[in-house]
Amino acid sequence: MPFPVTPADATPTRPDGRAPAGGTPWARPAGRRVARGLATCAFVAAVALAGRASAQPASPAPAPSAAEMEALRRATEGDRAAGRTSPRRPAGGVAPTPVRPPAPGGAAGMASYRAQAMVGAMNPDISLILDVAAGWFSDDKPLQTGAHDPSRTGFTLQQLELHMASAVDPYFELQTNIVFAEFGVEVEEAYARSLSLPAGLQLRAGQFLARLGRQNPTHPHTWAFADQPILNGKMLGSEGLRGLGMELTWLTPLPWYAEVVVSTQMANGACCARSFWGGAALPVRTPFDLMQLVRLQQFFPLDDDWSLTWGLSAALGPNGTGNGRLGSNRTDLFATDLYVRYRPVASRVRAALSWQTEAMLRRRQVPGRQLRDWGLTSQVVWRYALRWEVGVRGEHVTGVVDDPLDPDWSSARQRVSAQWTFYPSHFSRLRLQGSVDRPSWRIAPVYAAFLALEVLIGAHGSHDF
Amino acid sequence: MTRHRSLALTLLIALLPLNAVALEVVATLPDLGALARAVGGADAKVTVLASHRQDPHYVDPRPSLMLPLRSAQLLVVNGLQLEQGWLPPLIRGARNPRVQVGTQGYLDASFFVQRLQVPTARVSRAMGDVHPGGNPHFTHDPRQGARIATALGQRMAQLDPAHAKGYLARAKALATRLNALASRQRARFAKLPAAKRKVVSYHRSLTYLYACLGLTEVTTVEPRPGIPPSPGHTAKVLTTMRQTGARVIAQESFYPRRVSQTLARLAKGRVVVLPGGAGPKETYEARVMRGVEALHAALAR
Repeated sequence: MPFPVTPADATPTRPDGRAPAGGTPWARPAGRRVARGLATCAFVAAVALAGRASAQPASPAPAPSAAEMEALRRATEGDRAAGRTSPRRPAGGVAPTPVRPPAPGGAAGMASYRAQAMVGAMNPDISLILDVAAGWFSDDKPLQTGAHDPSRTGFTLQQLELHMASAVDPYFELQTNIVFAEFGVEVEEAYARSLSLPAGLQLRAGQFLARLGRQNPTHPHTWAFADQPILNGKMLGSEGLRGLGMELTWLTPLPWYAEVVVSTQMANGACCARSFWGGAALPVRTPFDLMQLVRLQQFFPLDDDWSLTWGLSAALGPNGTGNGRLGSNRTDLFATDLYVRYRPVASRVRAALSWQTEAMLRRRQVPGRQLRDWGLTSQVVWRYALRWEVGVRGEHVTGVVDDPLDPDWSSARQRVSAQWTFYPSHFSRLRLQGSVDRPSWRIAPVYAAFLALEVLIGAHGSHDF
Repeated sequence: MTRHRSLALTLLIALLPLNAVALEVVATLPDLGALARAVGGADAKVTVLASHRQDPHYVDPRPSLMLPLRSAQLLVVNGLQLEQGWLPPLIRGARNPRVQVGTQGYLDASFFVQRLQVPTARVSRAMGDVHPGGNPHFTHDPRQGARIATALGQRMAQLDPAHAKGYLARAKALATRLNALASRQRARFAKLPAAKRKVVSYHRSLTYLYACLGLTEVTTVEPRPGIPPSPGHTAKVLTTMRQTGARVIAQESFYPRRVSQTLARLAKGRVVVLPGGAGPKETYEARVMRGVEALHAALAR
């Protein structure tokens, strides 16, 4: 047993059941408690020793026989294969176990360890996530659209994500995500969120991922596949749709879960607003030079085991094709997403089946015409055993002739991917993924295979459903 | 005019129950909910987030769970990071300033219990799923239940002074009953031969119950908290069972059973499945007794 039981453990509760003064058991005067604890310990130890002595068989117990070992091996495998043991990864996120600062060595430990733990309790949650992948592509020029995708044959550092978060005061919390990648360091997200606005309102301000669809506001750590959907890469950006701005959300008082999101964000950035201003350095002159987003998200608990989330979003903003007339050409993005999850609460299997589908429609004004394209991503992920998960994903994204953003992408592109993931614990995962990508403008399909590793240290906050 | 007046009257009557609404309490876990129901009586409306059939470490933070939190005046949590994987998004999403961490409407039950297995040295995830603040599974122990009941009574009295007397009286009576129950059961288990007061657990989640009943946990089926058993470790468990004479493997309903059943068969013992928490209509005392009876029956055999 790694932890010695403290002397207080063996003492009975006060007969009146009252909590100790101050509410903190360790803050009580120690003398009487220790004395009573020692006495009780001695008594318990004596009883235990006596009991053990009387229970000892005359000769040492024999080691398990070969047949018994076989039965145990089958049982452990049975529990795992049937997924009957606990997969230690909650669906909504990771249960973090923050690591406290080290206790000074030696027996002086306890008091100063606790003192340090108290100090450490003020630290923000800090975690570091490493995503690396080994990849193989059948083509020297694969068409991966995500900035953190495995994108070449050989090894790729997808990202090293430093996440820090903490309450600022009773009114705000700060969330930051700093990403180290092969191309440098970026502030992926850094925003303050309100904690105590009335009437079901919440405010976010800073740099954040826009809440367009289900996939976009999330980080690779929670993705079911090693790469970003091509739909998100094409319509939103290699880093997703994100920018500086502010967001107001409202949890309506309706009898079911219905949340309304409105946000306004800068429309520039080749990585993160490519359907809008993208890389163009244009000045903001009116509110219409910013990207405006609205979203309605609803949740329906069909029963204890089945859940359904449905979202509708629209992002409207200027694009960079004004040809001298700044901000005059517009882009409209409409999206809908559906997430159905089956997780039987009563079963000890704790397996889960999730189906997620997103569709986006984009309309762009460019000089002389209007471009219209759309796409769909649908994936099914089945957590079938203690540490194992499989998933398939299908994608279809249309194209238009002479697209200023993607000149080659003149007609539809399809990709099918499959993944098989092993979770040694909920802080590490090893994912094998294969895909067939069929861009209609290429002669041959692009085949790809990845082996992606993710490890996480530190305290990482839990994720939304 | 008369019509308008009668309409207004109807509206007023329709709204009356809303005005007379009880203290709205949300408890994360079924045991805490059962305690809050007993202390709150008719003056409180208690909603429980997790099911008694599921492992409290792993609950999906479904957005529907935010709805009762929206209007809650008191949120009762277990603490010691037991709900860390699912509660924070719910509190954040509910957008209710009254139940944010640190407010009077946020009651962390672990502040009021006598914690066991508090780490006294640096912890690491290499040790498995350890909780840095101590073992969080204290609601199995009625003595800790008594402490929580007392804390609940005081907090409810502060939040709803109009019904303070009732909360305090019910909390006191419940705490007295629970402590008496604990003493009775401890005495009853003490009558068992010493050789029979030894138990193997699946997870290290019954420590508080054993401390209450004077039982000894000789080993656990999991090699480390949250780490599934390997054949090598189960062989050690079997050897330990044979050496110590422990015959009973105890675990909550939501843990896997195949390894435990195999071990029990090989060691000529049995598996006792204990309730993971109080049922939706069950009292805390009934739930504790359900577990205690099952354990006593298995140990006495």
